[in-house]
Amino acid sequence: MAFVQNLPFISIILSLFAGPLSSILSGKKAKWINLAVITIIGCMSAAVLGFVLQSGKPYVYMMGHFPAPWGNEIRVGLLEASMALFFCVVMFLCMLGGSRERSLEVEEPKENLYYVMVNLLLSSLLALIYTNDLFTAYVFVEINTISACGLIMIRQNGRTIEAATRYMIMSLLGSGLFLLGICFLYDVTGHLLMSNIKEQVTLLSESGTYHIPLLVSLGLMSIGLAIKSALYPFHAWLPDAYGYSTLSSAAILSSLVSKGYIFLLVKIFYRVIGFDVVRDSKVINVLFVFGIIGMIIGSIDAIKESNIRRMIAYSSIAQIGYIYMGFGLGTTAGVIASVFHIVSHAATKALLFVAASGLTDASGDSTDFFDLTGAGYRNKLAGVAFTVGSLSMVGFPMFAGFISKLLFAQAGVESSHKMLMTLVALAISTVLNAVYFMKTVIRIYTPEWKAGIEKKNFTKVTAMQQPAKSVALVCFILLNLVLGLGSEPIIRLFENGLKMFA
Amino acid sequence: MSGLMLLPVFLPILAGSGILVSSVTAKQKKAPDLTEEARNKLHLFSAAVLVVSAVLAIVLAWSGDLSLTLFYLMKDIPVFFHIDGIGRVFVTVISVVWTAICIYSFVYMKHEGGECRFFGLYLVVYGVLVALTFSGNLVTMYLFYELMTLTSMPLVLHNGSREAIMAALKYLFYSMCGAYLGLFGIFFLYRYCSSLTFTPGGTLDPVLASGHEGILLIAIFAMLLGFGVKAGMLPLHAWLPTAHPVAPSPASAALSGIIVKCGVLAIIRSVYYIVGPDFIRGTWVQTTWMVLALMTVFLGSMLAFREPVLKKRLAYSTVSQISYILFGLSALSQTAMTGALLHVVFHAFIKSTLFLVAGIVIFQTGRTKVEELRGLGKEMPKTLWCYTFASLALIGIPPASGFVSKWYLAQGALEAEIGIFSWLGPVVLLVSALLTAGYLFPVTMHGFFPGKSGAQNVWKKQEPPYRMLLPVAFLALMAVLLGVFPNPLIQYFGQIAASVL
Repeated sequence: MAFVQNLPFISIILSLFAGPLSSILSGKKAKWINLAVITIIGCMSAAVLGFVLQSGKPYVYMMGHFPAPWGNEIRVGLLEASMALFFCVVMFLCMLGGSRERSLEVEEPKENLYYVMVNLLLSSLLALIYTNDLFTAYVFVEINTISACGLIMIRQNGRTIEAATRYMIMSLLGSGLFLLGICFLYDVTGHLLMSNIKEQVTLLSESGTYHIPLLVSLGLMSIGLAIKSALYPFHAWLPDAYGYSTLSSAAILSSLVSKGYIFLLVKIFYRVIGFDVVRDSKVINVLFVFGIIGMIIGSIDAIKESNIRRMIAYSSIAQIGYIYMGFGLGTTAGVIASVFHIVSHAATKALLFVAASGLTDASGDSTDFFDLTGAGYRNKLAGVAFTVGSLSMVGFPMFAGFISKLLFAQAGVESSHKMLMTLVALAISTVLNAVYFMKTVIRIYTPEWKAGIEKKNFTKVTAMQQPAKSVALVCFILLNLVLGLGSEPIIRLFENGLKMFA
Repeated sequence: MSGLMLLPVFLPILAGSGILVSSVTAKQKKAPDLTEEARNKLHLFSAAVLVVSAVLAIVLAWSGDLSLTLFYLMKDIPVFFHIDGIGRVFVTVISVVWTAICIYSFVYMKHEGGECRFFGLYLVVYGVLVALTFSGNLVTMYLFYELMTLTSMPLVLHNGSREAIMAALKYLFYSMCGAYLGLFGIFFLYRYCSSLTFTPGGTLDPVLASGHEGILLIAIFAMLLGFGVKAGMLPLHAWLPTAHPVAPSPASAALSGIIVKCGVLAIIRSVYYIVGPDFIRGTWVQTTWMVLALMTVFLGSMLAFREPVLKKRLAYSTVSQISYILFGLSALSQTAMTGALLHVVFHAFIKSTLFLVAGIVIFQTGRTKVEELRGLGKEMPKTLWCYTFASLALIGIPPASGFVSKWYLAQGALEAEIGIFSWLGPVVLLVSALLTAGYLFPVTMHGFFPGKSGAQNVWKKQEPPYRMLLPVAFLALMAVLLGVFPNPLIQYFGQIAASVL
């Protein structure tokens, strides 16, 4: 066994131990350790990706030398490795972009606690990506929830505590349903390792027995994860959680945490239940319908919102809707589109959050829409970055969002009876997206005296004053362009990765 | 050789971005207005870049059917450049007109200010336009089409007033909605066409398409409406008369002469090169298209007729004239298409002349209304002669150019089997030509013969500088000359029409 194959396990353990370690360090040291850990894990994920690309097949890593079905396993394929790499990149940039806000908004003695949470969050995300064991997944789902609550609550004010409580209640409901689903599945199949469950499920579905428990279990797991990733009717916790928490928390929560759960759902579809069985069940139709409703309701809510942070948060609901709509199509093309959208939305949403905070910095820290008038002139880099993010969200060619839309539409036209609904939903949601994002872009580029607003003499912010944020913004813009222009190899990577899943 | 195709696209884009970036950094040094020296440098640089790219673009375009695949957006969707007949025609017209307008604006933009921004963007838009005409498939075209909207929008809001910003917003919003209607159609065509590469006569797969004609026709209609936004077709024409008057005159000339034509190009590409004309012949799509085009021709002329502001009048005139082209395309006959392509070329020269003349008047006197132009011929006779020649061409008085294209349009309509429209079309075109005379000639007449009514009887000569007048004279001359010697054009366009129909 090559040494590289140990790296996924090492990266999970590394971040898991970096968490407790941070609790005895000062905030500053914890910060550097955290950045170093993310960088190291990113490099290790890249090495793993290289290894899997070279060998061309996935491998299973046995933990503690107990063979299946007793031991715990990690399984690494193209999709897992590339997701781990991507998550590390985005998390690094989020932490970089939000460092100034953290030092302002987090009380100093608690600063190291923040890094405890971030490290734990990273380890749980990696575990969700790599694990081959359903119960391990559950355990890390819980770790993920708790650390995410910490990330929301660390900025102490009434709204964040309320938001964190709501998040906690909804998330625990989601985990509860997920656990219930696992119990059903364990009851029926007698296994917790994904590959073993799948064998049994295939046998069961061929024989046609235990049809209803399987369906219930699939439904419970899907709904549980849908709650945690804020699919439409379960989205109420989201705007406050993203809108009032500190910048890096909002960016990480929106771009990574919800995506981790969605990735787990993809794994359940392909590695646990088997996509054919999922397709034959009615569950995906439910996801499809709620995805579409979410796409539209989320955008309408965003249009009505006058707080820019909350507006971006509502737009997340719409984008999560896209992803579930892709699953709902029930084709591999749809899932590939969804996976690509996971990536493109993560990159874009984090960019938008960081850029929006750059704009509010230049508007006296007000997130109100009218105070942002002309902010694009006061903070030029943030203005450009916000424009890029908005264009990507609207689906402007050259940027990541356009490729997602194209993939969704392609997947949509392939399925005969869902074609019209998909395309109409895409069209409506695109126009709605254009309404609120373009409205904001225009607002930030309207000089105050022309908008008929009294001049408030906000200070200008140059790129040099906030070097960390500027670097993060530039990297995010580049990432978006890479996803938008060099999409073909990435899509191929996902296709091959999905093939390895089966 | 085909790698050279990147040069006329990226050279102006990079040079333009360079100017934009340097202007931003210059602002931070708190430099006031441009110094004379800096201005000369800027002019020389932009002119050099533009001329080099334009010459290169034209030479490349006429040196054979080059193709170049840049990279793949997705499996089987490359970003792909290919030059064919239509692209060749468009790129030539665009390059010539764009260069002429550029020379004109060197003087004009002095009084508008913000020259770095203007010329930077102007170069970028040129690069995007060249890429648009070189595009070899629908997705590449869409990519650069959107980019054109985005980069040309700041040209509209150049003077930065609230009115200009609102107009730019309107332009952006209309164009984006239009483009998304187009994209909606592209999604469907991707499903039912064998490829999205432009092929004369279309790539629609009859086997795949059978049974889905209804939905496909809706998709095609969405594309027509969507790309028709840029071309100012009813019902989504309203951005045009708002955006043109507030933009600086060279920008309105470029918008009206060139950018609206790109809407036409997109329609030609999707109807004649992807769907194939036979698919929509005789369907409700063709009928509705013709009705919309003819309504636009008539309404545009009527609105122009009662419009007091010269630039706005010209904008309405553009609405009407572009729909001449669209009507020619909707007839789906060879002669009509030849006429439409001729009108594309002629109108580009004519309308940019007219807008530039309106710009000269604003530059020299600050007048914008038609009634204030009394006695213009005494003040600046050469300018008004240019205007007169261009209006003659637009009205279609032989031997000036508009006559030729309108002749072919009418002939084509009569030949085509389009029922009632084969005579209704020419009638509307004729009525609209009369209206055109009605709204363009008063300027000439009152300009040269001001009468004695006004208090002012002593006319001060105020011809514009030659660097402004020469490009206008050149464009006006082209507008007339192309009508006197139209044969090579007619032959070439006839070949193109024959290849797709």
